[in-house]
Amino acid sequence: MNLELIGNLIRLRYKLLWANTRTRNGKIALFFAGYLLLVMVVALLAAGGLGAGMAAVRSGHGTPLAGALLTGIFLQGLLASVVLGFGMTVVFSETELRRYPLKARERRLTRHFIGIADPFWILFFALDLGLAFGLYLFGAGSFWYGLLAVLLLFVCNYMGARVLAMLVERLTSKRFGSMVMLGALMTLGFLPALLGPVLQKNKALAAEVIRLWWTTPPAAAGVAMTHTDLSVLSAFGVIALWAVALIAVLVALERWPRKTAVAQSAKIVWEDRMDRLAAVFGPRTGPLVAHWMRFYFRNNRFRTIYPLALPLTAFLLFFFTRQARGGGPFSGGPFPVVLGVFGILGFVGTGQFAVNQLGYLGGGFRRFLLLPTDPAAAFRAGSYMFICLAGALILPGAILFAVFAPIPTSAAMLAMLVGFSLTSLFLVHGVALWTSLLSPRRGKYAQSFGNDLSFAGNIVIIGGMAVLLFGPRGLAKIWPEAVSPLYWWATPLLALAAAGFYFASLRSASTLFRLRREQLMALFEGRG
Amino acid sequence: MEPQTSAIRITSLAKLYGKVTAVENLSLEVRPGRIFGFLGPNGSGKSTTIGCLTGLLDPTAGKIEILGQPFDAENAAIKKRIGVMPETLGLFDPLYAHEFLAFVGRMFGLNELTTRKRVTELLDALELTDTAKTLAEYSTGMRKRVAFAAAVIHSPEVLFLDEPFESIDPAGVSLMKQWLRRFTDQGRTVFMTTHVLETVERVCHDVAIITKPGKLVWQGDVTVLANDGVLQFNGQEFTALEPLFLHLTGERYKDLDWL
Repeated sequence: MNLELIGNLIRLRYKLLWANTRTRNGKIALFFAGYLLLVMVVALLAAGGLGAGMAAVRSGHGTPLAGALLTGIFLQGLLASVVLGFGMTVVFSETELRRYPLKARERRLTRHFIGIADPFWILFFALDLGLAFGLYLFGAGSFWYGLLAVLLLFVCNYMGARVLAMLVERLTSKRFGSMVMLGALMTLGFLPALLGPVLQKNKALAAEVIRLWWTTPPAAAGVAMTHTDLSVLSAFGVIALWAVALIAVLVALERWPRKTAVAQSAKIVWEDRMDRLAAVFGPRTGPLVAHWMRFYFRNNRFRTIYPLALPLTAFLLFFFTRQARGGGPFSGGPFPVVLGVFGILGFVGTGQFAVNQLGYLGGGFRRFLLLPTDPAAAFRAGSYMFICLAGALILPGAILFAVFAPIPTSAAMLAMLVGFSLTSLFLVHGVALWTSLLSPRRGKYAQSFGNDLSFAGNIVIIGGMAVLLFGPRGLAKIWPEAVSPLYWWATPLLALAAAGFYFASLRSASTLFRLRREQLMALFEGRG
Repeated sequence: MEPQTSAIRITSLAKLYGKVTAVENLSLEVRPGRIFGFLGPNGSGKSTTIGCLTGLLDPTAGKIEILGQPFDAENAAIKKRIGVMPETLGLFDPLYAHEFLAFVGRMFGLNELTTRKRVTELLDALELTDTAKTLAEYSTGMRKRVAFAAAVIHSPEVLFLDEPFESIDPAGVSLMKQWLRRFTDQGRTVFMTTHVLETVERVCHDVAIITKPGKLVWQGDVTVLANDGVLQFNGQEFTALEPLFLHLTGERYKDLDWL
């Protein structure tokens, strides 16, 4: 095992991270600030875990509570990495590593060592470790057993995320894979709500589910953290078995050959649906819009996320309106929640791509500059496409809501929801124009997972969702009329204002595009 | 109307990247109907000059005229009359070759029927018949052919080619040379960079040599070499382009004993 070379490559990953920061003007301070923030978050999470550990011991149900907490952390890790792409960026691909004198096993180790040392996973490690330390401080277990359990669980969590991501990637690369994925996600989303009443009625089934749960890595880690007797051994055995199984599955998946294209002549299709749809933009802009549609509809991530927008909205509505009815953090009536979720519908299918619209073009970016058009025409055409695609979801969303609404619905309510959705559509896509130009990031088009967005891009998407989920509810508390259907006419006015902002942004961003095009070209071609 | 005397005219062109000078006070003229070789060592500013000439980059100073008209990145009318094969090919990887070429054709104002006809002909002539592969799956040579097809699909009057023959097999190179000659026979102009000096001697009519940072050191007609003529510089005579190039750009000798 060439550990020295593996170590060098891991160091190189961090040197590259630093070099990337160094080459961007004014980003060094941001880099340090970001890392200081990360350290603080790690400390906070560790403290949170510690507190949870204390609470678990005090409640007298240390083991199941620790297991439940660890399960929550484990699932959050899986979801955040597989769905949102955090901690899944591949720094060195297998092809890149083949340049070095490393054997297959060493290359695999290098890739996963680098992957597991991602700051995202360190946050989860901090949470797990905090919990283990909290349990130890309150005399519920051994520190060393806890540490070992955390390490093994951490490996399981990372491996689980990788296995899941690879399965999803393989699935979505198939013709109807995205649809299957969509169905699976919807089923998973609704499963807890559907399963709850069934389990309450059928005690035997509930007991069986709990028995199975004890054989999962987080539950077993909970046992290892809270015991010092022989049961620790079987708990370690369970986690180790899972780790080995997951590693074996991952290796098998990585070795499973992908279908490679073979040389063949296919019948050329001259005018497809995209050309016909984009033709409404006229002969000058139409080909550019069709081009962008073709470009993004061949992207695995887009093909998965865009069709998921409506089901995801339905899930959010179902989940949060239930909470709103049941009190808790969403008390104050379900309508503000519905309003917020409809706001999210305005950009959830396209926002992730719109905030970094040019980031996946690579060298193709310069082709736009060679075309006999205004250089920013292609940029504007891309934005029109996102607006149209996101806008196309609003009306079906409103109709579906009217039919399956979990709350009594009126025409005023629907008008307000559509108006609010349009407001967020124009607002977020307007801001996206600026982030695409001022804070772009070179993304990997072929990568199905990974968070390619810049800091600003993440703020717009994640911050936008958070504001829309919690904002209307907060507003309902301090100014109930603002979210009341009585004043439904205010949202179309807001939508008009947002549209004004979008078109003004489009105009100003076109000028900025011309000014920044050399920098953008250098960045997307990997020279900046 | 006065006949057009130059296809490309560059006057005191300069391009700075911050404090770094990439091109310095470059002036040259390219006559119509000629294949013009633009030579220089690595990093001498050839691609930067082509970038300025094709609207990819904004010159820091100087004037560019193409086909008798002032040119800058906003001049869409001139862009319609030129074809460019950039060094970074500028392809959209997820597209199929025919989709990419059809897109370029439509953007350059060809109607649907002409676009389809020309795309089919180009794919056939350049042996890009593997239509089931996307551009990302093409080999480097095939990608280069696609970029060449995109540069010529609208039948431009001036063609800019940055390292056109690199990675293309000998048969492809021979085909491209034939086309370039036919192209210039019709009075159109080719402006190209390459490092293959033998090719330049055989294909180009005129040559300009620049050194770092984008400074013109020699310009002349190289067709004399075909008739056993010589190239001259400061009273010295050169029977081929290579010794002149090395003389102008500085011959480098370094002993690498271990090699």
